[in-house]
Amino acid sequence: MKAFTALTVTELRLLSRDPASLFFTMAFPLMLLVLKRGESAPVPGYLAMIAAIGGMGALPGIVAAYRERKVLKRLATTPVSPLLLLGAQLVAQVTAALAGSTLLVAAAIVIFGAKAPANVPALAVALVLCSVMVCALGFVIAAIMRNTRGAGLIGMLVMFPMIFLAGAAVPRKALPDSLRQIGDFLPLTPGVDALTSAWAGTAAFFPMLILSGIIVAGTALATALFRWE
Amino acid sequence: MEAIEVTDLRKSYGDTNAVDGVTFTVHAGQTFGIVGHNGAGKTTTVECLLGLKRPDGGTLRVLGRDPARERRALAQRIGAQLQESALPDRIKVVEALRLFASFYHRPADWRQVMERWSLSPLARRAYGDLSGGQKQRLMLALALVGDPEVVVLDELTTGLDPVARRETWRLVGDLKRSGTTVVLVSHYFDETEALCDKVAVFARGRVKAMGTPDEIIARTGTASLEEAYFALEGTTR
Repeated sequence: MKAFTALTVTELRLLSRDPASLFFTMAFPLMLLVLKRGESAPVPGYLAMIAAIGGMGALPGIVAAYRERKVLKRLATTPVSPLLLLGAQLVAQVTAALAGSTLLVAAAIVIFGAKAPANVPALAVALVLCSVMVCALGFVIAAIMRNTRGAGLIGMLVMFPMIFLAGAAVPRKALPDSLRQIGDFLPLTPGVDALTSAWAGTAAFFPMLILSGIIVAGTALATALFRWE
Repeated sequence: MEAIEVTDLRKSYGDTNAVDGVTFTVHAGQTFGIVGHNGAGKTTTVECLLGLKRPDGGTLRVLGRDPARERRALAQRIGAQLQESALPDRIKVVEALRLFASFYHRPADWRQVMERWSLSPLARRAYGDLSGGQKQRLMLALALVGDPEVVVLDELTTGLDPVARRETWRLVGDLKRSGTTVVLVSHYFDETEALCDKVAVFARGRVKAMGTPDEIIARTGTASLEEAYFALEGTTR
């Protein structure tokens, strides 16, 4: 437990020192909020976006670098399992998503006078599920791609269309019909749905169930495909 | 007491016999050199010692235990510096030392380790901003922060400039005097000759010669370990 805590603190420190991570999880969503003149309707989508940027935009490159630079192998020579480092990265990404989301929601309420989310516990659960789900997808990408550059690039290439088509960056009703239908099959869509429902007051069971299913399937796939070196 | 006992170790990848029947023992407190060209089977041998690879044949005992079965327990007592292994660029020296110390039941005091390896002035420096020699010094300190009985150093000085290399030699000398068992893997003959009590010369997955550097040199009638290596290789071809 001591080692896991130390690893998690280190991973959080490293994330907070990465200007790109900091910008996309903290500053960028605030910019979008300002551009929307503080309108609160798109905020739940932005929360899903914050999670996706961390889990799919950043995580695959970080994990692939740990393999490429033999950090995982070096850990395997200590009493600590390299699996613990991946766990620490997951906890750090979820914590970063919660921090970025809290900042955004607070700004919406304090600066723009938005109404507070109607069901905060459901919102928190939906956000954690959504964040763990995108991290699971990120681990799958890190498992499939061999090098750091490839993993980072594929992460971005998967993440960007998804945040638009799943209704995270822009509402899905603004999309043309054909594109909106693609969104029905994207894993981030139930995340946006769960967050939007929770914001409005309902704990939406079905989207959360789908998120949990994707987490289980993604973790199993990543475990089966992951190479430690 | 024997710290390491290796008997007829074998490991192959596909058709290649990376290690093809290697036998050696290392006494506690000895500095043992494994020397040879790239592809001689040095790193594979070391990875078997550390429990990172499972041997195809032979027996291995490190501190009386089988590394393939008891890697975790052994890892408490062994420190390793791996070839080409790195840390994240943004981690600071002091953070890396504290982090690695947290992995062990009874670590050394990381502050003392930092002081002893002259890393204190670099404590707040990020790994990515260190020079090659400083990085290697940190990796060496991380191998020692668990207060190990056996330390395995793989290609410790590869890529270092001559000054940093000599500085690293001095550090290994200190380590040796402290009574720690050291396994030093290198493709530099001068380094092995200068630092090791006992040397195994590896070629194509086998041990070509073993003994003190002086013994090997005398046996081949040459002037240095490097010349001895080429003499040995010449006679076996």
